[in-house]
Amino acid sequence: MQVNLTVNGRPHSLLVEPRTHLADMLRETLNLTGTHLGCEQGVCGACTVLVDGKPQRSCITFAVDCGGAEVTTIEGFDADPTMTALREAFSAHHALQCGFCTPGMLVTARDVVLRLGETTEARLREELAGNLCRCTGYVGIVDAVTAVAAGRQPQAQQAVVATAAREAAPLLQAAEREATPTLMPAGGAMLEERVALAAAPEAAWAALADLRRVATCLPGAQLDSIEGERVAGRVGVALGPIKASFAGTGSVTLDEASRTGKLIGRGRDGASSAEGEVGWQVLPGAGGGSTLVVQLSWRLTGPLAQFGRAALVRDLVRRLAQQFAANLDAMVAGQAAPPARPLGLFALLWGLLKARLLGR
Amino acid sequence: MKAAAFDYRSAGSVAEAVALLAEGETRVLAGGQSLGPSMNLRLARPQRLVDVKRVAELRDVAADDAVCRLGAGWTHAEIEDGAMADFSQGMLAQVAHGIAYRAVRNRGTLGGSLAHADPAADWVNTVVALGGTLVVQGPSGQRRVASEDFMLGAFTTALSGDEVLVAVELPRLGAQARWGYHKLCRKTGEFAKAIGVAVLDPGSGLARVLAGAVEGKPVTLPQTAERLREGGPAAALALLPEEAEARLAHLAPNERALRVVAVRRAIEAMAEG
Repeated sequence: MQVNLTVNGRPHSLLVEPRTHLADMLRETLNLTGTHLGCEQGVCGACTVLVDGKPQRSCITFAVDCGGAEVTTIEGFDADPTMTALREAFSAHHALQCGFCTPGMLVTARDVVLRLGETTEARLREELAGNLCRCTGYVGIVDAVTAVAAGRQPQAQQAVVATAAREAAPLLQAAEREATPTLMPAGGAMLEERVALAAAPEAAWAALADLRRVATCLPGAQLDSIEGERVAGRVGVALGPIKASFAGTGSVTLDEASRTGKLIGRGRDGASSAEGEVGWQVLPGAGGGSTLVVQLSWRLTGPLAQFGRAALVRDLVRRLAQQFAANLDAMVAGQAAPPARPLGLFALLWGLLKARLLGR
Repeated sequence: MKAAAFDYRSAGSVAEAVALLAEGETRVLAGGQSLGPSMNLRLARPQRLVDVKRVAELRDVAADDAVCRLGAGWTHAEIEDGAMADFSQGMLAQVAHGIAYRAVRNRGTLGGSLAHADPAADWVNTVVALGGTLVVQGPSGQRRVASEDFMLGAFTTALSGDEVLVAVELPRLGAQARWGYHKLCRKTGEFAKAIGVAVLDPGSGLARVLAGAVEGKPVTLPQTAERLREGGPAAALALLPEEAEARLAHLAPNERALRVVAVRRAIEAMAEG
């Protein structure tokens, strides 16, 4: 796609792929390599440039999304008096060592100095928190920015947008909801969910013991083969913007006497792997029905594990278990289970953990 | 890593965005401060993005004496800077200030954050704490969803695939209103470990207390809120542990304790303010 924008005062008309982020276009197409790429996920701040005068992350800004924008990179501040003062202060206060963070740090610091003027050290450190430096320990950086900001007045606030009088409807009240059901306490990467089934324990267990039928009740699960205890299958997940699918194998054990079953499985998706265990038990429930207890534990390895936040999963598993139970109930009652949608237990967990990125 | 290939379309209006979404396999791109990282890591691989950044309607602001309607396209930084007349006694500006980092706030939007529905996101918790309403537009027009019914779970909302979140309606807080917002983070700008929010507006009778962040929908604490209305912050604090025990029973004790601390500090901040 063609994108027309201004970089450091010069107009450019460039052909870029939609997937190209602004930093890559600056570095690879325009050879403006002063913009550094560290994490490429918006955390480290090394790629910070000005877009229309405001510091932004060029690694999570698509170049095609900058049509008409005025971009200023570290190369574009030669004649800028604030930046000149900052450069000198960074040198005087030893505010850099390797220099990798410095372009982003300077762009951020300039914005802080202009926007806030002289401010407290606490506020300054807070404002600089989005730019990581692994050399200096920040002391020199804070000293440098403090020196440049000294005596300056904050920039005037933007003009207030006029609010138009318009008749707004009264706020909606949320539908009445039942209190959150109580779950067993979960420690580490393990949790338990209990769901009431209308089916009697015998009927529910009989249905659960038939793995092929069970698989049709678990949204998104597809069972490819069963050989003795060994099962192979695949699961897909669609959760917000995250879509993943992975193939895995597992082993299943069933105990008729206690009406318990256990599936131990593992799967891979790219460089990451997940392994986990699902246990289930059918207990007599109220009114001739039964209670399905589902216990789940899992472990993630690989590059994606760092984003994991175990507590996130609980809410999703609760919803999944309820859906599973509804499908199982329908099946036991002789109704056809609804068509499987791409949402699986392990994949669900996995997708969730993977989604723990910059979800703001 | 770099994002997988996708098609990019820029919408000039909400109706155009909705029409593009209806064609399928399309996701809305607002600020892209959550979607961008997900795509760079190849966790999200949308086939097509429809960019709503240039849709003027998403920056409408309307208000009467009770409710303010804020377009979904405002950035966190604009709200932080007070780009629109304040109707929240300073609450929205302070919440916005606490979101991530300035470079992210300059691009990320109110509506994008709500539609992404990360449980730890500030707007998700703030809008529910204020009892707001979300305005959503699809092929058959606009509908309004109560904030408590909007988020179904982590990263999951009541939005269907061909709907765009266009605005948020929030109550106007009166001059007597007090609020407290506290989030527990180990590092500035990171995801909250727990969020506590308390709002009391004697003029309108609005009293809300919320424990948020981590695993799913924010949890409201209606009994503590009722105590807040009747007896003020001290009375609310007295009831908080008991109600939290019941309403947050699904959490591990350490996680529950974090929520209680966040809510307590929010209520205390309100008493000081």
